[in-house]
Amino acid sequence: MDAFANLLFGFQIALQPMNLVYVFAGVFAGTVIGMLPGLGPISALALMIPITFGMEPASGLILMAGVYYGAIFGGSTSSILLNAPGVAGTVATSFDGYPMARQGKAGKALAIAAYASFIGGTISVVFLMLVAPALSKVAVAFGPAEYFALMVLGLTAVVSLSDTALVKGLIAAVLGVMISIVGIDLQTGTQRFTFGQPHLLQGIDFLVVALGVFALAEVFVLLLRGGAKAPPTQAIGSLKLDRGEIRQMAGPVSRSSVLGFFIGVLPGAGATVASFLGYSMEKRLAKDASTFGKGNIKGVAAPEAANNAACGGSFVPLLTLGVPGSGTTAVLLGALLVMGVTPGPMMLQQRPDVFWGVIASMYIGNIFLLILNLPLIPLLARILELPRALLLACIILFCMIGVYAVKFSAFDLYLLLGFGLLGLVMRLNGFPLAPLILALILGALMEENMRRALQISGGDWTVFLTKPISLSLLALAAFSLLAPVLWRAVQLARR
Amino acid sequence: MTSNRFRLGANQVLALVLAVFAVWYLNEAFQIRRFPLPRPVDSDLFPKVLGWLLLGLSALLFLTKNADTRPSEPATGRPWLEVLLTALAIALYAWALRPLGFVLASALLVAGLAVLYGYRQWWILATVAIGLPLLFYLALTRLMAINLPAGLLPF
Repeated sequence: MDAFANLLFGFQIALQPMNLVYVFAGVFAGTVIGMLPGLGPISALALMIPITFGMEPASGLILMAGVYYGAIFGGSTSSILLNAPGVAGTVATSFDGYPMARQGKAGKALAIAAYASFIGGTISVVFLMLVAPALSKVAVAFGPAEYFALMVLGLTAVVSLSDTALVKGLIAAVLGVMISIVGIDLQTGTQRFTFGQPHLLQGIDFLVVALGVFALAEVFVLLLRGGAKAPPTQAIGSLKLDRGEIRQMAGPVSRSSVLGFFIGVLPGAGATVASFLGYSMEKRLAKDASTFGKGNIKGVAAPEAANNAACGGSFVPLLTLGVPGSGTTAVLLGALLVMGVTPGPMMLQQRPDVFWGVIASMYIGNIFLLILNLPLIPLLARILELPRALLLACIILFCMIGVYAVKFSAFDLYLLLGFGLLGLVMRLNGFPLAPLILALILGALMEENMRRALQISGGDWTVFLTKPISLSLLALAAFSLLAPVLWRAVQLARR
Repeated sequence: MTSNRFRLGANQVLALVLAVFAVWYLNEAFQIRRFPLPRPVDSDLFPKVLGWLLLGLSALLFLTKNADTRPSEPATGRPWLEVLLTALAIALYAWALRPLGFVLASALLVAGLAVLYGYRQWWILATVAIGLPLLFYLALTRLMAINLPAGLLPF
């Protein structure tokens, strides 16, 4: 089947009435959760996972993908209206979006963000459709050694691109792997770090950790920042764009969409890096660079197109290699594993319904996102005025229900609290959380692949260095860790 | 008298906590049972590597300069009390879920937390605090056949 026939097959899945409902529900829920300052795509996904229990994998992933890009867009709404980006991926949008809102052009900024997101999202799905099958053909040749090396690269890339100290990123990653190995070792039957607790024999469920360190810790941080009181929002005004404005955004949107997609594919990068690169690229290219930061249309269009395109790009390593390149896709992988689907190169053959269904649903989801965010934006923006006190109490309840529904164990609720406090301490002290969640998902897989590789090689550790792909990936991983250190050393030497 | 030069910053305090944790973790890792048949990698290798890594990283963190990474929220006063009481409420919820039942415990949790955070519109609060858990309860138990503790309620 060629790509077009595959896509038609995907549309047959995505256009089923229930799946249409899931796309809409996902995009809507993602937008609403993403709008709440502090709650980003990871929290949105973690909060929605319990809803996917028992769903068909294709439907579940369709819902979750909708939540993901909905949350990215929702974050930009709070960036523009409140200057309070919900997530790092929409920080760049606030540079010019909020000044536009203060000039009474919030509606225009939101409209630009909606169009740019739509175009960025759609272009990235086209690329995803073309790149993913080709990459999965290459990935079929990957053995355990290559997978181990790829996971090491994914982890080091996320650590090195964390916006805080490298050491703290590495500590977060080590803690993540430590959590992942709690329970019975499936290869030997040995108990590790279970302390005789029957609740820990099956390990710590990733949802408990994800909801704890992200959603619950975010609620704690919001409380500390006095977030129970809603800040004043800017008036929205007209959503109409004139021809000049559309012409101005055309270039930045198309450039940043392509850039965003490829940044999204890279392990460790993603929406945040893409949006900042998109913004700075446009600022460099612009003749009116001095107006950036003061309400320039291109300063809203570029990061919005880039972060939505990166979102599509991040599905490439997840769906073709089964290795997430970011914290958000790590949560998505966790959700897929819960649904009994293991993404990877074989998924295209074994579960084409999931693969193509999700891709087709992304086209539909982007249209829903546009519909939600243009005519309905004045209505949706009122969510920002909802009483935060009540909303935070309800979010805590959702976290509890989500965790309890996994194993019906009150013990998990105590664990949730523990991880919530851990997330709070980490956040207040500048520890990045993405490496922790990625390591949590990858830790067990890394150990399994390492052991398999060593079993095949008869215990010869050079197996990771004698295979060219594995060697290159490990060299890249070492480079990704050393590059920031070397860069800093060069900068210090220059001074 | 302690001079500023020797005062432990947040990084140093955390590094010490992590180092103590790493030592404890290593001690536990060395007690993991070995598999009777020889294998290239046994169950204890990964934990041992992780323990040593964390110990090394704690040393590096100890030497890391304290940047001003803290967000600008007030460090003392009511917000911290809200966090502490929220944590306590969650622990109480976990403890009371079975005896009180899902609906009652959840209603008390939502109402208590919302009041703690300053919400005072009683009718709306009562509707949400009772309605939301009841809706979840009925949806999960009746539609999805998931058993949630009924507790004191007869249904």
